[in-house]
Amino acid sequence: MAAHLSYGRVNLNVLREAVRRELREFLDKCAGSKAIVWDEYLTGPFGLIAQYSLLKEHEVEKMFTLKGSRLPAADVKNIIFFVRPRLELMDIIAENVLSEDRRGPTRDFHILFVPRRSLLCEQRLKDLGVLGSFIHREEYSLDLIPFDGDLLSMESEGAFKECYLESDQTSLYHAAKGLMTLQALYGTIPQIFGKGECARQVANMMIRMKREFTGSQNSIFPVFDNLLLLDRNVDLLTPLATQLTYEGLIDEIYGIQNSYVKLPPEKFAPKKQGDGGKDLPTEAKKLQLNSAEELYAEIRDKNFNAVGSVLSKRAKVISAAFEERHNAKTVGEIKQFVSQLPHMQAARGSLANHTSIAELIKDVTTSEDFFDKLTVEQEFMSGVDTDKVNSYIEDCIAQKHPLIKVLRLVCLQSVCNSGLKQKVLDYYKREILQTYGYEHILTLYNLEKAGLLKPQTGGRNNYPTIRKTLRLWMDDVNEQKPVPEPGGESCVERPPDKTKDTASIQWYHRQEARAGTNTPQVLSGAFHWPDPKRVWEHIGAEPTESHGHIVRVQWLCPSQCATGPAPLEARLAQYRGSSPHTPRAPL
Amino acid sequence: MDCYTANWNPLGDSAFYRKYELYSMDWDLKEELRDCLVAAAPYGGPIALLRNPWRKEKAASIRPVLEIYSASGLPLASLLWKSGPVVSLGWSAEEELLCVQEDGVVLVYGLHGDFRRHFSMGNEVLQNRVLDARIFHTEFGSGLAILTGAHRFTLSANVGDLKLRRMPEVPGLQSAPSCWTTLCQDRVAHILLAVGPDLYLLDHAACSAVTLPGLAPGVSSFLQMAISFTYRHLALFTDTGYIWMGTASLKEKLCEFNCNIRAPPKQMVWCSRPRSKERAVVVAWERRLMVVGDAPESIQFVLDEDSYLVPELDGVRIFSRSTHEFLHEVPVASEEIFKIASMAPGALLLEAQKEYEKESQKADEYLREIQELGQLTQAVQQCIEAAGHEHRPDMQKSLLRAASFGKCFLDKFPPDSFVRMCQDLRVLNAIRDYHIGIPLTYSQYKQLTIQVLLDRLVLRRLYPLAIQICEYLRLPEVQGVSRILAHWACYKVQQKDVSDEDVARAINQKLGDTPGVSYSDIAARAYGCGRTELAIKLLEYEPRSGEQVPLLLKMKRSKLALSKAIESGDTDLVFTVLLHLKNELNRGDFFMTLRNQPMALSLYRQFCKHQELETLKDLYNQDDNHQELGSFHIRASYAAEERIEGRVAALQTAADAFYKAKNEFAAKATEDQMRLLRLQRRLEDELGGHFVDLSLHDTVTTLILGGHSKRAEQLARDFRIPDKRLWWLKLTALADLEDWEELEKFSKSKKSPIGYLPFVEICMKQHNKYEAKKYASRVGPEQKVKALLLVGDVAQAADVAIEHRNEAELSLVLSHCTGATDGATADKIQRARAQAQKK
Repeated sequence: MAAHLSYGRVNLNVLREAVRRELREFLDKCAGSKAIVWDEYLTGPFGLIAQYSLLKEHEVEKMFTLKGSRLPAADVKNIIFFVRPRLELMDIIAENVLSEDRRGPTRDFHILFVPRRSLLCEQRLKDLGVLGSFIHREEYSLDLIPFDGDLLSMESEGAFKECYLESDQTSLYHAAKGLMTLQALYGTIPQIFGKGECARQVANMMIRMKREFTGSQNSIFPVFDNLLLLDRNVDLLTPLATQLTYEGLIDEIYGIQNSYVKLPPEKFAPKKQGDGGKDLPTEAKKLQLNSAEELYAEIRDKNFNAVGSVLSKRAKVISAAFEERHNAKTVGEIKQFVSQLPHMQAARGSLANHTSIAELIKDVTTSEDFFDKLTVEQEFMSGVDTDKVNSYIEDCIAQKHPLIKVLRLVCLQSVCNSGLKQKVLDYYKREILQTYGYEHILTLYNLEKAGLLKPQTGGRNNYPTIRKTLRLWMDDVNEQKPVPEPGGESCVERPPDKTKDTASIQWYHRQEARAGTNTPQVLSGAFHWPDPKRVWEHIGAEPTESHGHIVRVQWLCPSQCATGPAPLEARLAQYRGSSPHTPRAPL
Repeated sequence: MDCYTANWNPLGDSAFYRKYELYSMDWDLKEELRDCLVAAAPYGGPIALLRNPWRKEKAASIRPVLEIYSASGLPLASLLWKSGPVVSLGWSAEEELLCVQEDGVVLVYGLHGDFRRHFSMGNEVLQNRVLDARIFHTEFGSGLAILTGAHRFTLSANVGDLKLRRMPEVPGLQSAPSCWTTLCQDRVAHILLAVGPDLYLLDHAACSAVTLPGLAPGVSSFLQMAISFTYRHLALFTDTGYIWMGTASLKEKLCEFNCNIRAPPKQMVWCSRPRSKERAVVVAWERRLMVVGDAPESIQFVLDEDSYLVPELDGVRIFSRSTHEFLHEVPVASEEIFKIASMAPGALLLEAQKEYEKESQKADEYLREIQELGQLTQAVQQCIEAAGHEHRPDMQKSLLRAASFGKCFLDKFPPDSFVRMCQDLRVLNAIRDYHIGIPLTYSQYKQLTIQVLLDRLVLRRLYPLAIQICEYLRLPEVQGVSRILAHWACYKVQQKDVSDEDVARAINQKLGDTPGVSYSDIAARAYGCGRTELAIKLLEYEPRSGEQVPLLLKMKRSKLALSKAIESGDTDLVFTVLLHLKNELNRGDFFMTLRNQPMALSLYRQFCKHQELETLKDLYNQDDNHQELGSFHIRASYAAEERIEGRVAALQTAADAFYKAKNEFAAKATEDQMRLLRLQRRLEDELGGHFVDLSLHDTVTTLILGGHSKRAEQLARDFRIPDKRLWWLKLTALADLEDWEELEKFSKSKKSPIGYLPFVEICMKQHNKYEAKKYASRVGPEQKVKALLLVGDVAQAADVAIEHRNEAELSLVLSHCTGATDGATADKIQRARAQAQKK
């Protein structure tokens, strides 16, 4: 059981169990011992669903990574391929199967497509003459993976790229399918709201699929009142800026993959007196980060500046708890103390880990360069000098800082200026090509195609208007509630006016951080439930109290938000005016 | 009531048999039954008659007529037989009529005389002709056994999945067996045949002679055999008029009977039911019907007309020109209740209820009597059960009324059995109706199941009744109404005289969005009937594109399939259609189709990117997409080409494309890259080392590191590297070389466009404090404090900060002050602060 999944407002363990059951059923279909050949990409997401022990219970004895030529020898009855439906993978599988047949005992082959069985791939296998070799060809619809008590993710890194660079809607289709599965388990969601073109497509697909499934409908009372679909494209700004929550910074610096982070081991070496760090561990320390850990749940979404005080307070609480032992006089008291020991030790371990992580992060956040970068980001977002070449970016290029950092900044400037002046854009591009190599002309072109980088057209920069109307920027945010104690050890010293905390987009931050995205290429693919009230405020629609079963789809025209200086209140009134059961014509 | 048991005939001590009329037949038979081949399906199924069979040498010019009637004698179909001579008729379990021809070809017809298919029983049968054939039913379906002219048997256990088995030869068999039948034991079909006084059992491997246990002596030949409905019992009729009855395993004799009639009977069938008290065999001659069992006396009936026996699960149906009757053993519940002077609880309850209706106090007496014995529950159950076995609705009603009456005096009698019986009887009465003509008994109905019954109603095209039954029984829509509607629709599409529009509209009106109806199945049927247009119209209503698209492809409507696939958003479907289209259309048409479907086009581009690069180029060319063409060639210059000339050529093509795309910047950048590549190549030739594919920045750095500053300068000028970046570049390179002398010279060459703080920083990075200090003094006033702190000169930093009177700088310096050494400085700062505040 994954306990952290059942704490949220919706028990996501139901979903997890459903997908686990499906996996077990498939494994049991192939009787006898098994070896799984993995599409490497899938191992991470699968780890969130089923540990090796589950597979082992169902007679999985060996696991291999999918590679060309022969399969490694294994004395098993079944070979099962777990793959995404990709043509190039089919070629490898065919190679595996063909080279297998020439050797000794025959084994049974099966194939499990994740998340969708594909006619195209089966046709390819047929063309390669191996389709008949597979006894079971099934699909495993692992679309939305329960990630945390309040988060599902598709773990689909390329989704944004596919949608906006390649006009490939496959991931949208999978999203819609996943939402249908969700509805099958948690009841039909009575209202759907959406924003952006991709959101509209997902909703359309869902409505279509709903028609397909009529007849097999369940009558579960809906757990979800509303569904809000957002197209990443609606807000390109957020993912470009540096994340400043604790979790966000871990992701920025070390990268969170499938809820795991790999950290440099030195800080985590057990401190033993005497042997002066002779055998420091060399392998990276791997930690899972989710709300199952009480401390992490508390600090993950806090601004990093507020983390230090929490850690120190927690340290005091724990040491006080350990001190209790001196007060324990009677056998009964001692017994009670001992019974709490495991929990306390776990808490201490967790505190030690996060203190080490915080120290690691602090090393970065206190550096001058980090400060400078943040300053530039904040200048851009508050609309300062976004229309000329920025000298910090220039210096970064000249010093050959990581390309991704440079690109994020340039794109951020472009977004905050509704596109860059042709001269400025060309200058940046030329600098990047000369420094990082001409091949990046393709990279830059892709960024332009995805709209992250663009020349200014029409001459008018509407970002300041949006910033004001939607109150994207708040100057006086207290990052630390409560105020840190004097002398709190790990606080970044920064003047308060440099604070970047934009309430309206803050929850996006959580979303990005948890989906393990840290580059502008991989922005999409996470669904998250923020506090609904806050979202309604920002989306300009109002939730209705009734649990109506009519699916209502309301569209907010992207352009309305992008160009419309219409005040939020006016738009709110407009929506309040419309009757709750008349679907609005798509704008 | 007195006469209720009038038609009960006792057989032995324990059992009664009764015969009652199901229907009076008003089929207008022109000929006698004996002149026809007759086949009647079990479970109240239809009756097929083939008049004028060939065995009667009539004028060959008259074609025989095949007629099909319902069990109540309503004509269902009539057709002229145009094929070869038929030896035998029989109904399969799916109620298909199998007509076995003399040449071994079996023609299969539907209930309405519609030809379904035909199959052959093999060459051997074709050569030797068919002598006799039997259709038998097993759990696998309907089997067919054939006796050929060569006295060999060929058998298929399931005609739906035809696997012919030729049975072994019977040694020394010279003439046709006098009688034979199929047995079914351990899920395998055997054949039992009689030749003179000998019996042989054929299984698929061997032929073995068998004997009957306890067979009376003196038998010289067997005239007739009968196997029971469930294959458990076997009866044989000998030429001495002796009947042997035993188990089908031939291991045990049940009983025997001597009827003293030596004439061969016309038909002999078992009449028993599950948990029968007294199993009996019904033997029919021309004018006589005899029920014999384990009793000294038999029951005899006179037959007024030519009759035909149909064995059923729990009795025998007997039909003739004018009537259709049912003969069965009286079920236990009925017997208990209606037997004369019965004191069974059910009988008393029935009586009590009648008295109650008469408002007589006797009702109470009877009721008390039952209650005293504590048998009221049993009484109610008996009445409910007996109601099920009654054919006449008025009897059903009075029994149910009695049950209902008794129920009132019971506390906790679960109501479902009563309710279910009422429902079942309502269904049974509906289908027994003359117009429907399915005379199922309650036991048969339970054995058949409601699902099969619905199928049979559908087969008879009785859609409204089927739907009413579904609704009445509240069957789930997917199993019930939807399925029937789908069948109806499949039937509807076959009505060729109605226009496509009308059919499609009619179907959609009836079906609407009924859950579980597959429009694609209906469309597939329409397509099967050659009505492609109708199929397409129907597919419009299909919500599942996964079903819709493949069928459209099959119907060669690829373009429509493409737009449907796109609509669904299922990219896999789109790909499938695309690859289909690609093979179907010529290249030009294919590209044109793509052009009109942007989503398909972009998917196909992705496909080409991985699978067919050349096609990708053609696609861009077709669209005049020069920007993408340029990118394509750039990619080619990195991936495909090895030689510099080849790469430059590819870049040249790219540059041309960019010019066409009016992308000056990209074109210029590409030309620069070509220049750089050639130059790097030259550098490699002249200086050795690795240059190709380095960025311009790295090329210059490499040159400086290699000590070729002149060339580096030249390159920077040629490619117009901005001054600021060049300074950074040189600074970094020289520091890397630790060429401090050169660095100092460089720093003095002119005023630094990047200031001097980077110099300090880079020296400190290389841990050269001495050099760093040199530059710290030259750092501009704004960054002076930072620079001084970097080189570790806290005291001087403090002085500068105090001089600047800058609060932020003061704090910064203060944070660098460490306890002992900088105590004085810290004090100084504090003092300055205090002073500043005073002012």
